[in-house]
Amino acid sequence: MDFAWTDEQAAFRKEVIRFAQQELNDDMIRRDHDSEFSRSHWNKCADFGIQGLPVPQEYGGGGADTLTTLCALEALGYGCRDNGFLFSLNAHMWTTEIPITAFGSEAQKRRYLPKLISGEWIGLHAMTEPGAGSDAYSLRTRAARKGNCYVLNGTKTFATNAEHGDLFIIFANVDPDLNPNGVSAFLVEKGTPGLIVGKKLHKMGLRTSPIGEIALVDCEIPAENLLDKEGSGQAIFTTSMEWERTCIMASHLGMMQRVMETCIKYARERSQFGQPIGKFSAIGNKIADMDVRLETGRLLLYKAAWLKSQGRHPLRESSIAKLYVSEACIQSCLDAIQIHGGYGYMTDYQIERELRDAVAGKIYSGTSEIQRVIIAGLHGF
Amino acid sequence: MTTANQATIKDQVRQFIREELASAKGISTFRDDESLMANGVIDSLGVFRLVTFMEENLGVRVGDEEIRAENLESVDKIEQLILSKIKKN
Ligand SMILES: Cc1cc2nc3c(=O)[nH]c(=O)nc-3n(C[C@H](O)[C@H](O)[C@H](O)COP(=O)(O)OP(=O)(O)OC[C@H]3O[C@@H](n4cnc5c(N)ncnc54)[C@H](O)[C@@H]3O)c2cc1C
Repeated sequence: MDFAWTDEQAAFRKEVIRFAQQELNDDMIRRDHDSEFSRSHWNKCADFGIQGLPVPQEYGGGGADTLTTLCALEALGYGCRDNGFLFSLNAHMWTTEIPITAFGSEAQKRRYLPKLISGEWIGLHAMTEPGAGSDAYSLRTRAARKGNCYVLNGTKTFATNAEHGDLFIIFANVDPDLNPNGVSAFLVEKGTPGLIVGKKLHKMGLRTSPIGEIALVDCEIPAENLLDKEGSGQAIFTTSMEWERTCIMASHLGMMQRVMETCIKYARERSQFGQPIGKFSAIGNKIADMDVRLETGRLLLYKAAWLKSQGRHPLRESSIAKLYVSEACIQSCLDAIQIHGGYGYMTDYQIERELRDAVAGKIYSGTSEIQRVIIAGLHGF
Repeated sequence: MTTANQATIKDQVRQFIREELASAKGISTFRDDESLMANGVIDSLGVFRLVTFMEENLGVRVGDEEIRAENLESVDKIEQLILSKIKKN
């Protein structure tokens, strides 16, 4: 076992942190207040090579291995205060680029990956429906074959990046009698007649990441826009979720470290009763707990990523890591507010935003309850 | 690959499915060519238990794009997938 980053990974990590701190943090409070997504930051990330990281070089990507990718995402979480933006970036990478890389035809890869990597296009996937959330495969969107086309009809909700999306991966069932085995994934380009991006939804946190509804009304797409084959939806969705659970949580780890360091600094500088508040064990213990959570989360996540890098399927490990890190992150943000007292509750201190952003981690990519269902299910329950 | 080994692989797959997946669903018998996805023995989690079993016990690696009904829905198809991988190595 080797717990160290290689010299190259460590240097890359530093470079990503420097980039994120310099380029991605401007005007944060206002952008959060206005729920504003930053296209210019998106382009800067593309120029830096973030979007291309996990994509093979032959399609213009960086061809980074899983652990290097994870290292970069953690560094971004540490350097960039805009958790919403990072969430959009993660959604684009794991739910659009990865499925196309793993399941796309050569023509699909050549058509879409270069645009997704260069920042020109933004991708998203739409699985969730008003009536199908945790029970995702019970979706009601239908895809009917008509000659050389598929016709999609249905409604999607909570689709991250919908407002700015150029490429939509839509999950639909080709044959409801097949239940989950009929679920298939379709590549739908912005502007396709019948693809209607509905209203933007306002939310508690991650406000700089747009989220919205999508309606598909007799939306006709060429049959070659089917991703892989009919019935591959489960495999495609699970692959995305495995990546997303691991890599979004890497950004959470970076954020947890940043928040902890802010708390340590504050606990040294803020004095009450004639001494720094960190000297009170009630405060010092909170910082110790934050550190324990961070380190535990790292071990869980790195193990899941390591298994993935070995070509294994760490469904159990990525579920455990996702469950743990998302919940630990919320607790650490709550502790951070407590350490900062009244100031922590104030928007200007930028701690309350971290908490608002963290809460969603228990819901997206499978709720905490569903992660427990998966873990228990893998033990036969 | 000898016929004996081949039989062992099939036996192991059958035993795993019977003990770990089918019995919990109250199913004790199934044919080798029967679709275990259609009858609910292999559900979405079952697929991953099966893949983990293949990776850990039979030493084969299953690609993301191979996790699909046409490769994993019956004992026969699972055996074919495993054999095709062993032959390649
Ligand atoms: C910020 C954010 C971004 C998102 N982005 C996307 C996206 O890009 N694309 C997309 O398709 N979806 C997206 N989603 C949707 C997300 O995947 C769903 O919200 C999630 O799967 C839960 O579904 P639901 O909201 O319908 O809740 P429900 O499934 O209705 O769950 C309600 C409650 O019941 C619990 N519950 C449900 N079933 C069980 C069970 N079997 N056992 C125990 N408890 C259970 C849940 O854990 C939860 O607490 C996003 C969500 C959020 C919050």
